[in-house]
Amino acid sequence: MDEYLTDGYSEPCAQCAAVDWGVSVEEQFFCKKCHNVIERTIDMVGECSLYSNHSKISYIARPKNTAMEFPQDWMVCEGFQFVLKQQADALVSLGVCLQFKTDVMWNFWKRYLQNTRQAFVNNPVSAAGFSADLNSESKSKPESVAFCEESFLIGAPSEAEKPASGCSNKRRSGSLDASLYVKGRKSRNVMTMPRTLALCYLALLWVREAITLADLLRLVKERCVPYLNIHEYIPKDMRIYGQDSKIFRVDSIPSYSTVHKEAVELAKVIKLPAFPTVSQDCLLHPIPLTVRYLLESNLPDGLLVWVHKVIDEASMGDDSFLTFDPVKQKPALVCYDIQAAAVIIVTMKLLFKLDDRVEWTSSWKAASEKKKKVFNVERWYKVMQPAFERARQKMEREEARQLWKSHEPFITSLKDKSLVFKKRRVVNHLQHRFQKLTDSTPEQQCFTTTAFSSFQFHWGRDDGSYGRSLHQHRLNCTFKKKGVKRLTNRKFWHTVLSVCPPTCSDHFSEIEASLPRMYVWLLDLFSFLLGVSQAQVHKEVLNIERRFLKRKRPPVPKSTQRPSVTKKTPRPSATKKTPRPSATKKTPRPSATKSTPHQSATERTLRPRKITKA
Amino acid sequence: MDDIEAELKIDSPGNETTNQEIIKNPLHIEAPSKYYETGFHRSSRKCLKVIRDAMLHHNWQKAAEYFTSYIQTLEDTTVTSAHLTRDVIWRLGAEILHHLANASIDDFNAVYEIMKHAGVSNYAKICLEHAFHLLLNGQSDEAKRQLSSASHWRYGKLTDAQSLEMKLIHAYCGFLDYFIWSNKISTTPETEDVSSLQEISMYFRQASVTLQEIITRPGIWDPFVLSYITMLEHNNSLDEALKVLQNYAYNKDFPSNPNAHVYLYQFLKRHNAPQSALISSLRILHSAVPSHKLMLEFCSLLLKKHQDTALKEALCACMDLLEFSSWKCDRDAWKCLLKILQRPKNEHNMVKEEWAVRRSLWMAFHFRPYIIKTESQKDVRLWRIKERVLKLLGEDLHIEDTRKSPSGQRDRHHNASEDNVDGDSRRGPARNSNSSFKRDESKAAREGNAAGLRDRLTDFTHRKRPINTLNSTGQLVPVGFIPDV
Repeated sequence: MDEYLTDGYSEPCAQCAAVDWGVSVEEQFFCKKCHNVIERTIDMVGECSLYSNHSKISYIARPKNTAMEFPQDWMVCEGFQFVLKQQADALVSLGVCLQFKTDVMWNFWKRYLQNTRQAFVNNPVSAAGFSADLNSESKSKPESVAFCEESFLIGAPSEAEKPASGCSNKRRSGSLDASLYVKGRKSRNVMTMPRTLALCYLALLWVREAITLADLLRLVKERCVPYLNIHEYIPKDMRIYGQDSKIFRVDSIPSYSTVHKEAVELAKVIKLPAFPTVSQDCLLHPIPLTVRYLLESNLPDGLLVWVHKVIDEASMGDDSFLTFDPVKQKPALVCYDIQAAAVIIVTMKLLFKLDDRVEWTSSWKAASEKKKKVFNVERWYKVMQPAFERARQKMEREEARQLWKSHEPFITSLKDKSLVFKKRRVVNHLQHRFQKLTDSTPEQQCFTTTAFSSFQFHWGRDDGSYGRSLHQHRLNCTFKKKGVKRLTNRKFWHTVLSVCPPTCSDHFSEIEASLPRMYVWLLDLFSFLLGVSQAQVHKEVLNIERRFLKRKRPPVPKSTQRPSVTKKTPRPSATKKTPRPSATKKTPRPSATKSTPHQSATERTLRPRKITKA
Repeated sequence: MDDIEAELKIDSPGNETTNQEIIKNPLHIEAPSKYYETGFHRSSRKCLKVIRDAMLHHNWQKAAEYFTSYIQTLEDTTVTSAHLTRDVIWRLGAEILHHLANASIDDFNAVYEIMKHAGVSNYAKICLEHAFHLLLNGQSDEAKRQLSSASHWRYGKLTDAQSLEMKLIHAYCGFLDYFIWSNKISTTPETEDVSSLQEISMYFRQASVTLQEIITRPGIWDPFVLSYITMLEHNNSLDEALKVLQNYAYNKDFPSNPNAHVYLYQFLKRHNAPQSALISSLRILHSAVPSHKLMLEFCSLLLKKHQDTALKEALCACMDLLEFSSWKCDRDAWKCLLKILQRPKNEHNMVKEEWAVRRSLWMAFHFRPYIIKTESQKDVRLWRIKERVLKLLGEDLHIEDTRKSPSGQRDRHHNASEDNVDGDSRRGPARNSNSSFKRDESKAAREGNAAGLRDRLTDFTHRKRPINTLNSTGQLVPVGFIPDV
């Protein structure tokens, strides 16, 4: 009767070298000749086939790992330290400077622990005191702990006294203060998984790396930076158990706005000083960043000139505007990437109006001239749209097939342990079966094998490109009249610019239907590239338009014949502009394709400005 | 045609809404608007949607690929309806495997086994389905083994919750015993071997005990009853079999089941029961299913009795039968009716009464000019019988004229064009097949007097196309016209 159980096992017995196995009542293998009982585990494949043979045994060998039997005591912040270390390592291996890890991250983390009085202070709080007022003076003085692997591993909490209330006899293993940590989760000081990303982002910002927040989140999504199933990275002797899973388990990647908000909050908690200035040589400055997005979206290089103009006019190149300073009264952390995308959209609106009519008629005109290398919106749309659609479908596919669960499940309680492991086994078996039938590998493995690229689209003639490149195309959006260069597009539209109270939610969903489709499509494109919502990009567009239209202008010189016209040069080496008091003037839009009463009332037109020859 | 389409268009949105009301989506495929959704849930929702679409397009390979990723939802820790998730995964997996070209029986067995033990709340159902699958693949021994092991499954309250499925497992266990027994009986006839005889009797005993128990409970147990009866007949315990069948047919606790009466009748017939018993069993069947094919036998049985009442009953049964469209062109049924009508007794009154009730329907249903024409061309033998029936019923049609009309085709064309000229767009021609008559009538009504109708009638008769006829009371009735009821 045991034959079918022992069938696959043909190892000779260690004592008598006979191959004659039986299964005992305790479901252990024993040699029928010498009655030697052996430790026998059934490997994966064997177990799979056992299912089909309807056998009921499932044999679990006890691990002999002493580290597992005597797990070390550890605290939640130690766990987070590991998480941060892994994330920093990953970023360094992706090419971020080593300083980022050794100096910045470590110092930020140390400051965090100090400021929340978890470590590096003379009187560390127990976890219960997380919600305590931060303003109580901490007598801590920053210790100049030289960063090394050891200090990172052993870390701060060894210095902190263990909270007495935290460890009770009920605790099987896992961190000491998890339950208290979970209780204090509402307070703004405790570390959370999204906050690890926020901390990474702040550190990246500090070293002025070219990784924007959108990039960071994409790295996380493509598993280049560890975030999902983080417990796999934590050493075995720090066993995550029970309440810990509430802290370390992740079942979604935080959104852009969440991490952004957390970063501002965290900077306040850490009490960071003003960040290094974001000047033109830093890649987070809108000028280099817009170059990147122009490349990505296959727009001609000529557009850059106009983008610069808009940045200048909106006075966005300003260091004080761009640099993050948490010490300020209302610290504002600029969303550099969304802002750069919004600048491009505003520029497109300025040049081509994007009201579903002007951009197409100008395209037809340009096409009728039969000059090949002239940029027109229609051609661009025809190249861009299929590529965009393809990329979007690819992303949908990847999202649908993304694997979230790890091979080592979280164990929340002893009661659930067997159930959790059983579920894991079932999932493993089923996946194994179906993978054999489909010869498919899960998406997770595809992610890790492909190299990360900061560009999602590739343009040009090479293999794997999404279409032909339009970068070299000439822009033809000005015309000369009486020796003065003017923009062909004479009108500019925008939605309501008045600032809503902070309690107000965004109105994008309400007005979306009334907006020109081309504009919405553009929002769609850039929101896809950045992985944010359309409303966020739209909000940033409004911000720029506000700055752009409310810019200060010196009084009009009397000699100017037409006061309503200002100058604008097409080149960056611009002459001094002749401003005028009312650059904007309310006129009804002549070609309102979808204008609602609400919109047309607020519609303004911006006269293109006269250009004097230098 | 236009009208039908228009009607369908009007109806279709209504149907959709009712369907949507009926089919409630327990697993959401569309994005939730009210509550926050984690990335994991979004992934699984999108994955399920892709799988559904792939399955609807019969793209099984793709469905299997995505299903591989979808399996992870089993590990969902937040979902409250883990039971539902398991159910969905089991069903999806079985369906996809069923259609995958490279799936082997081993894969099936493995998946069924895994899902059986994944969540025991569905254990019995999955066991049953597994057994069915094995039976479909001809592995009845394996299926038997599955079922018998499943019938001993105990898991506290969960077994009680699945009592219905457990009952079914029990029943199918017995059924398979019977199956094996009957196979053995047919393959090894008259064996002298004691052990094989013992084995056969063991299967017999097991099957009979199980089946006997199962069919006493209210329900529809057709295959089980049949097999039990076969076994009893084999054992020559006919009284017992009759009792079982009578209980199955007449017990008020059981749901009404026409097959029960059929089985009873067949049993009685097999064992040469008296005519009255046969007739009474069929009479009940007639009241339940007047279109049953045994009704012809019922008629012939009644005819043997030589009684007026029996004859009348036969006439009714036969005419009832012919009123079903599936029997409309059945020659045997018409022959039977002819035989009844040809009875030389003085049942003339009876036939007249019956005919008066049914006449309008029958003229439209069986004797419309179009039907007459097609039948007289395609199935002449049937038409002969029908013609004789009609004669016996006392009707008179100018059939010969119709059949021999050389210009039938042209007439129809003419008629059709006239319809178009008439142009009553509210009533499409396809909406009601006899609408042309209605239209004639309405036109006549518009003309204001019956004289118009009569004129047109003469016109029609002039064209040798007898559309109208006189009924028994001498009134003008257009053929094929169904009076409003």
